[in-house]
Amino acid sequence: MIERAGYLPGVAANDIAWQTLRFGGNENPIEIAVPELSDHQMQSMAATVRTASRKLKARPTQQIVESIDRTVARLLDRSEPIRQKAEDLLPRVTGYDAEMVRLGLTGYLKTFRKPELQKFLAEDFANPMMLDDFQPMPKGGLARAFGPDILAHIWAGNVPGLPIWSLVSGLLVKAGNIGKVPSAEPLFAGWFAQLLAKTEPEIADCLAVVWWQGGDTAREAALLREADVVLAYGGNDALAAIRGRVPITTRYLPYGHKVSFGMVSKSALNSRKVTATAHQAAYDVVRYDQQGCYSPHVFFVQRGGKISPKEFCQYVAHELAAFEKKYPRRSLSVSEAGAIAAWRHQEEIKSFGEGGRQILSDATGAWSVVYSEDSEDLAPSGLNRTIKIVAVDELADVAPRIAPYRKFLQTVGISAPPDELYALGALLGQEGITRISALGHMTAPEAGWHHDGRFNLLDLITITEIEGSAEKAADAFARYAD
Amino acid sequence: MDFRDKVVLITGASRGIGAAIAKAFAAEGASVAVNYLRNVDAADDVVSECRKTGGDASAFQADVTGANDVDVLIDSVLETFGKIDILVNNAFSPYAFDPENRKMFCDLDWADYQSQIDGALRSTHGMCKAVLPAMRGQAQGTIINMATDLVARPSVPYHDYTTAKAALIGFSRNLAAELGPIGIRVNCVAPGIVYPTDGTRDTKEDVKDMIISQTPLKRLARPEDVAGPVLFLASPWSGFMTGQVLYVDGGLVMT
Repeated sequence: MIERAGYLPGVAANDIAWQTLRFGGNENPIEIAVPELSDHQMQSMAATVRTASRKLKARPTQQIVESIDRTVARLLDRSEPIRQKAEDLLPRVTGYDAEMVRLGLTGYLKTFRKPELQKFLAEDFANPMMLDDFQPMPKGGLARAFGPDILAHIWAGNVPGLPIWSLVSGLLVKAGNIGKVPSAEPLFAGWFAQLLAKTEPEIADCLAVVWWQGGDTAREAALLREADVVLAYGGNDALAAIRGRVPITTRYLPYGHKVSFGMVSKSALNSRKVTATAHQAAYDVVRYDQQGCYSPHVFFVQRGGKISPKEFCQYVAHELAAFEKKYPRRSLSVSEAGAIAAWRHQEEIKSFGEGGRQILSDATGAWSVVYSEDSEDLAPSGLNRTIKIVAVDELADVAPRIAPYRKFLQTVGISAPPDELYALGALLGQEGITRISALGHMTAPEAGWHHDGRFNLLDLITITEIEGSAEKAADAFARYAD
Repeated sequence: MDFRDKVVLITGASRGIGAAIAKAFAAEGASVAVNYLRNVDAADDVVSECRKTGGDASAFQADVTGANDVDVLIDSVLETFGKIDILVNNAFSPYAFDPENRKMFCDLDWADYQSQIDGALRSTHGMCKAVLPAMRGQAQGTIINMATDLVARPSVPYHDYTTAKAALIGFSRNLAAELGPIGIRVNCVAPGIVYPTDGTRDTKEDVKDMIISQTPLKRLARPEDVAGPVLFLASPWSGFMTGQVLYVDGGLVMT
């Protein structure tokens, strides 16, 4: 079967050149047709989106919230054909376990229901009505927020559904959206756009989903020329290259690769609590095989609990073994398997010189846990269910150990009592951490979170102010002027 | 079942059920540590039979009721084979299974109970404690403790022996609950009367006939019959079973 990716308002489907991407290996082959637009087609599509975006700006934000809510409700409905297609095809395209994808989609999409969307708005705007009309400002005068006419999204990675985050943000600020899907998961963004168009025909042209082969700078340039704001995800090299191509007058919002980790206080390590703590830690490792920016690479575990950090490893190892039966790891590419082998090799070499080091892993290599007795600095894991557990005397001692990664830090999952949590929060924030979650929730940020410490909506908009002087001066010209 | 690359330690393995279990593991390719108390010749015989069937084997003398001996035993097995994947606690204090001349409750002293508790429970406690660091180090392992179907159905009330085995089942279930989260499984095998063994060699025919008449499979267990369920509980085929008691008595006890 062939599934068509993308969503292209204003471009006749017959005129499009389609490329074929193949997924699923020999056992479960699937072909995805992805559109390659000419410069002219990109221009005409951008014109369509721009026009629609102007109309969107006259629409009350609440109506947009309700439109997204209705679309997301359909995606949550397991009898909806697109939802069924997602449950069938996304595991085959990404290789992730089908159950993990199904549960992941539901958990993720739930964060885009109406109350959650309102949280998005409330997080960033003291008065969300400023997206609809000029609102009085505390300093005097009035202000209104305008989203860009065209917000370009360049997505990366293969975690199903991630593009919805920025697409929804764009819609909430009444932007026209053109998103470029990655070859690793080219489907979900297009399905969302198609379903939104079907559910809410009046705003059907406000978003478009395109594709080009990574590195095709000519097609990328065609989009960058049209964009008012560019949001891009990916590795720092790719992001830096895009920065060089974005016109200086265009706002550029890069989201680079990040490193996250976990911390476990000795209070979470008694004979009753340890099983839940280990389960949560392992869940964060297993979910999407550590492909997310919020996925942990290391757990720093405090000594002195009833269960030692070394024993904690055994609990985590067994949880990983149990998860491997429940949500098996996807099959790896040669380079991914090579990365794990290199990481393990490195850890094994270190273990020759260090008695306290221990490596636990499954016979097939589906998961590995490395234990280190010596306080080690934060370092990336081999990914795909490889995790290091480092014993520390005090969790606060971790702060200097993460300093080398300051520019890459994002989430810390913490199991600790309140006083420790707040104290650690202050320390970690200083070091560049932007998000602290419970262990077990690292891979599911709450609605309205500040991605990499930034504002999802505020970063997208411009404010137009009518200053007090203009108000006053206008009064003088009014018909009713005395 | 392929037990190549697996190391199994069996206590009291120079004869009877223990020897049968040792040979069965060896036949499936395991490396077998044959523990014995006194009978070095018998242990050596078991070792050589194990080697004949294709597995590796060595004999290890130790009194498993003594803490010091137990530590030395585990260390020697680890030194010889490098690891321990499976522990079968099969040893018990000598006991004469004689229904006609058994001690009645009023004849029994606490010392009789203590002797059986030491043989069944204390030895298993010591062995489990000593083997755990090695099993934890690989985050997996299997422990199988030998009980008896008399716990469920005291056809002959061997108070001291059966009480000790009942305690062993409770011990095993608690250990299973604690070690499950780190991937170590603990189960029991509870045979009925097994013939012939040193303990049952003198059991009278009428007793055997009485038991056979009530046994759906119409015979007594042989040592080899017990080995099958032990191997099953040691294998990935039982990977989702822990804290269980498998009765091997031809259906005399049904639970």
